[in-house]
Amino acid sequence: MEPVKDRIIKVTFNADVHASLHWNFRPQQTEIYVVPGETALAFYKAKNSTDKPVIGISTYNVVPFEAGQYFNKIQCFCFEEQRLNPQEEVDMPVFFFIDPEFAEDPRMAKVDLITLSYTFFEAKGGHKLPLPGYQK
Amino acid sequence: MSTAMTFGTKSFTPRPPDKGAFPLDHFGECKGFKEKFMKCLRENSFENALCRQESKEYLECRMERQLMAKEPLEKLGFKDLIDEKSEAEHNKL
Repeated sequence: MEPVKDRIIKVTFNADVHASLHWNFRPQQTEIYVVPGETALAFYKAKNSTDKPVIGISTYNVVPFEAGQYFNKIQCFCFEEQRLNPQEEVDMPVFFFIDPEFAEDPRMAKVDLITLSYTFFEAKGGHKLPLPGYQK
Repeated sequence: MSTAMTFGTKSFTPRPPDKGAFPLDHFGECKGFKEKFMKCLRENSFENALCRQESKEYLECRMERQLMAKEPLEKLGFKDLIDEKSEAEHNKL
């Protein structure tokens, strides 16, 4: 995979928690500039501000919607339960890249800003994580 | 139902990461490398291309502490940094 060096994209970061999850969850950088085909690292931080261990699970969203298909996460902290002990704070990395095919898609020609949003929920046993978008 | 999605376009469904989730770094073993990377970003207007050495070191830290599955760095997009390094070492000889 080769970087497409002349297509600079600004990636911005949002963080949300579901109302019932008492975690302090935020991105550690407001933005990062990447090019398609170049792997990139970004960090979020989460703190369990309660006095009990809490298990959270997160999902993510990408806007613009059409750019989401080119957003490839190699590894991150989503879709699996993450347990934080009382008052524990951890770094949460996201290692990703934007597919070089992004640069070939005429619909993406004017896209130079992609926003990545993560939302944490409290994981309750047996609950299926609701995925946004069209359900199959 | 006819929508913007019905004409064979690739649609976006959130999907799990290729290599699964990072285990949490509960003891902050790689925090120093993270700080180094974040400092690099702040000093370079958040341009990822200028901080790839630092991001590589963070991931190497995780791999050394079983906080990430070991993987050849060339496969994680760091081939150019590896080639540069071995070229420099070769020139030293």
